[in-house]
Amino acid sequence: MTNDDVRARVREFLAPHLAGQPLADNDDFFALGYVNSLFAMQLALFVEKEFALTLSPADMDFDNFRTVDGLVRLVTSRTATAA
Amino acid sequence: MTHPNEVLTRIDLHSPIPEALAAEIERRLFFVSPEITGFVVPVEGDEVRSVTLRSEQPLPHDALTEKVNSMVDNDVRRQWVTPAKAVWTSPHQRTPHQDVFELLSETGAVTEVGEGQVAVGEPLLSLFTYFDRAVCDLLAEDHEVREYRYPTLIRTKALETAGYFKAFPQHLMFVTRLRNDLDVYRAFQERQAVTGIDSAVLDSCGNVDYCLPPTMCYHTFNQYSDRTLEAGRLHVVTSRGKSFRFEAAYATSLERLWDFTIREMVFMGSREDVLDSRERFMRKVFAFVEELGLSGFCEVGNDPFFCGTDTSERIWSQRLMELKYELRLHVAPGKTIAVGSFNFHNDLFGKAFGIDHGANGPTQSGCVGFGLERLVYAFLCQYGLDTAAWPARVRTAVSGS
Repeated sequence: MTNDDVRARVREFLAPHLAGQPLADNDDFFALGYVNSLFAMQLALFVEKEFALTLSPADMDFDNFRTVDGLVRLVTSRTATAA
Repeated sequence: MTHPNEVLTRIDLHSPIPEALAAEIERRLFFVSPEITGFVVPVEGDEVRSVTLRSEQPLPHDALTEKVNSMVDNDVRRQWVTPAKAVWTSPHQRTPHQDVFELLSETGAVTEVGEGQVAVGEPLLSLFTYFDRAVCDLLAEDHEVREYRYPTLIRTKALETAGYFKAFPQHLMFVTRLRNDLDVYRAFQERQAVTGIDSAVLDSCGNVDYCLPPTMCYHTFNQYSDRTLEAGRLHVVTSRGKSFRFEAAYATSLERLWDFTIREMVFMGSREDVLDSRERFMRKVFAFVEELGLSGFCEVGNDPFFCGTDTSERIWSQRLMELKYELRLHVAPGKTIAVGSFNFHNDLFGKAFGIDHGANGPTQSGCVGFGLERLVYAFLCQYGLDTAAWPARVRTAVSGS
C-alpha cells in the first residue's frame, strides 16, 4: 500500500468529522477543535482495523494521531516493519 | 497492606491483562463491592490472569467473578498500554524517613479522628501555609490572579454539569438533612431515642441538592457559568478549600484522605495561552521543588474514571494527549505519592458551563491542583521532624509564622 493510498483512506475516515472545513496534512485536527479527545480512540481502532495492525506501546505518541501526516507515518512505518 | 481478615477468594479474569495495567485494576477493586477489604493482583509472566480478594466473610464467588470481570472489561481491558513518560525528574535523591506519621502522632501533631480523616497541628499548619504561599507566589509572578474562598457545599447540579456523575460516581459525597417538617423532626427524635441512629434516617431526608466538593475547580466553573470572558487574555482564578472523595479504603497516614485541602489554580482563555501557562507554571514548580532539594518526578497521569460507558476512551486519550501530569514525591524508598497535578481540559468545561472566551466560542481551560496535606507529608518524610535539618528558607518561614 502506498503513502497516497493510506492518506486517501485516512482522509476518507476523517471527512465526516470536518464539517466541510479544509484540513492540511499537517494540521492538528484536535487543536483546531474539529474533534474532541475521545475521538482518539476511534482513530486508533480505525487504524488497527483498516490497516490490519496491532498498535504497540511504542506507537502511543500523540504526534502519530493528531495529523494526517502523523497517521500516514504511523501506518506506513508499521506496514514497512511487518513487510 | 495487611488486614485482620483471612477469607481469600480467587477470581479468574476472562483473559489476561498486560502487567502495565495492573495498577488500573488495583485502584478500582475496592469500589467493586463493599465486602472487599483487601486484594492481591498477582503478575504471572508479564500478565495479570486473576485477582485474589480478601474479605471478612466468604464472598459469593459467581457474583464477584461477574462484577470484577465487568469492571476489568469495561474500564481496563480496552485501554492500550501507554509507556510511562516522565517530563521532569529531580536531580536530588533523598532517603525518606520511616514511620513519620507515627512520630507525628506521638508528638500530637496529627490525630486520626476517622477513616481518612486526620486532625493536624504544628508544625504541619505552618508548613501548609508555607507551601500554599510558595505556589501562589509562583503563580503571581506571571499572572494577575483572582482569589476566591468558596462555600464548602457545592450544588449537586454543578457536579452533574461537570460530568462528574458519569466520570467519578465512586467519589461522590452527598449532603442531606431532615426534611423541614415538624412531624419528621418528632418522628426522628422518637425513633432515635429507641433505636439509635442508622441508615433508616435517610427515609426522613429528601434533598440531595448539595454535595461536598471533590475539588475546587468545579466551584470556579460554576461561578463563571453562562459568562463571556474578555477575549485576548488569560483569566486565572485560584482558591483553597476542603475537598472530599470517598476512597473506600484508608490507611492511617496522610497519604490518602477522605477530607483534604486543595490549592487550585484555574486557567481560562485560548488554547495556546492555557497550554503555555500550564507548562510555564509547571516548570516553575519543578524549579521550586529542586531548590528545596526534594526527590521526585513528574509524569503523564490519568484520572480514576470509573464504570462509565467511555471510561477506557477517557483514560487512554488523557494519557495519549498528555492532558494530565502528576508531580510525585518520595515518601518511602521506591514509593511516591502524587502531590500535585497539571491538567488541560480542552473546551470540556467551557462547553459544559457555557463559558465563552470573547467571540471565540467555549473557553479552553486548565487547572493545577496541590494536595497540601500530601505536599507537607512528603516534605516531612524526606526531611524528618527535626527542623534543624530542614532547608533554611523553610525553617525561616515556619519559625517566623
